[in-house]
Amino acid sequence: MALKNLHGRVAWIFPEKDFDVDDIVGVANIKLKDPVKLAEVAMSDFDPGFAAQVRPGDLLIGGENFGYGHPHYPPMIAMRQLGLSGVVAESFSPGYWRGEIAMGFPQATCPGVLGIVSRWDMVEVDWTACLFRNLTTGQNLPIEPLSQGDRKMLDNGGLIGYLHARDLEESK
Amino acid sequence: MGATIAEKILARCAGLDRVSAGQDIRARPDFVIAYDFPGYTDVIFRQMKDEFGIDKVTDPSRFALFIDHMVPAVTPAEEELHQITRDWGAAQNVPVFERKGIGHQVAAELGYATPGAFAVHFDGHISQLGTYGTLAIGLRRHLLEAFVKEHILITVPHTVRVNLTGTLQTGVMARDVFHHIVRVLGPSSCRFKVLELGGEVIDALSLEGRQAITCLAMFTGAITAVINPDEKALAYAAPRARADIEPVFSDPDASYAAVYTIDVTDLEPVIVVPPSPANTENLSDHLGTEVQVGYLGSCASGRLEDLRIAAQVLRGRQVKPGFQLNVVPTSQEIMRQAAAEGLITDLVAAGAFVTSSSCDYCFGRLGVMSAGQRAVSTGTLNVRGRMGSRDSEIFIVNAAAVAAAAIEGRIADPRRYL
Repeated sequence: MALKNLHGRVAWIFPEKDFDVDDIVGVANIKLKDPVKLAEVAMSDFDPGFAAQVRPGDLLIGGENFGYGHPHYPPMIAMRQLGLSGVVAESFSPGYWRGEIAMGFPQATCPGVLGIVSRWDMVEVDWTACLFRNLTTGQNLPIEPLSQGDRKMLDNGGLIGYLHARDLEESK
Repeated sequence: MGATIAEKILARCAGLDRVSAGQDIRARPDFVIAYDFPGYTDVIFRQMKDEFGIDKVTDPSRFALFIDHMVPAVTPAEEELHQITRDWGAAQNVPVFERKGIGHQVAAELGYATPGAFAVHFDGHISQLGTYGTLAIGLRRHLLEAFVKEHILITVPHTVRVNLTGTLQTGVMARDVFHHIVRVLGPSSCRFKVLELGGEVIDALSLEGRQAITCLAMFTGAITAVINPDEKALAYAAPRARADIEPVFSDPDASYAAVYTIDVTDLEPVIVVPPSPANTENLSDHLGTEVQVGYLGSCASGRLEDLRIAAQVLRGRQVKPGFQLNVVPTSQEIMRQAAAEGLITDLVAAGAFVTSSSCDYCFGRLGVMSAGQRAVSTGTLNVRGRMGSRDSEIFIVNAAAVAAAAIEGRIADPRRYL
């Protein structure tokens, strides 16, 4: 199983610096565990029609230091439940990044991305070419390469798969 | 080219002569630390056994568990979680430290802040062990790797060096220094890097003050903070060290991603305005805002110097009627010393509610606020809903300013009471 290129529409743009992802489900819902319930409340403060409009494969776009604060897991559990396939941001806060990569949720750092996307553009993340492509406008930007560990984690669908892969590698 | 303290520690743990920033290595943590929390420790214990078929961790003396959240338990489920932790520790021969205080502080007291050691936790505030020249990193769920593998895959981080110069004015504390660093450098200035602190201000600060600063490294974007251990740090940490490791120090010609010098001579007490730890402003711009709750405690603050200055402010005065001042010493050892010094007597006489050490006031499990209430706090964080209703607000200030606000029922300048 290898990391696939991301291909979908821009479902939402969070242009704010230091965006606190907990706001996606609201602090009041941060202890919810059920992905279905989380998906129901996700984005209600931003766009009540969000869940009805997104399609599997869609992506989120973020600004600088996306995920700052004390990020929790439920917001992106909700997003995965809705079919979102990853996040592309100007830059990420390390705690958030580490947490979501361990969940196997692709994240791509793309300085300048906010300048070349509009909501519902069709976009693509090409991990091999290290490129973010806006297929609607034809504009491209480089993405930062993943570290060896992060790549292995995403290739194996997250932390558990990654550790099993390490087991296999080390038993050879 | 020389090496940073972080590079030297990771090189030793990877069994290499030297490593450089950006290099992917397999490093063996000297200590693997966690507090019990649902979704973390219970899941790690289960996955270790069910997913990987591992019954016992390798070398249990490297591991330490703390029970500091949900203390005391208020539901049977919370107590069940603690029992899972106690049982696991007993079966694994891993020590479980309970009711001794907030784990990150107790870890230092018990010698896990071994100079030159590499420690991992899931929680980022473990960074405060960096006060003693320990490289301590919060891995979130990735901590599982350290439970099922002796070595973890890690990218050697770059280091940002911050030199603090000048002298602190009366009423300006370590917390003000940290939040000023965020104001000057920005909340993403050290992303994925190690924040290495030094200079005459750090030299002059107490170990307690240094812990307040290193504890909060994550709000600069750093993955941890570290200070090259001086005589003061070694005198505390070396005799209680849990592992036989040589302290290491950054070379004068080490390579840094950036070097900043910040002069703090003109710094006045600050306030971190909700709802983000990125919002440092001058306290003097917020005087008079009504507040109903004060929290003096947390893994960042709540140590003897915090209790001393609060007692100094409150001695011979009274907390304003209706104001809730919760004082939670960071550890039971600190509580004992505060009692021996008479600080607890002073605080209680002034109307403070002083409780045994626990993490629970910091994250909204105890002492919660209703909609519309505002707190002054030395807690770690001021995001929405952190201490109760999402329509309550948290203003982060130093310990003296919490005490001053408790007297006046509004945000107040502590310097007039010192």
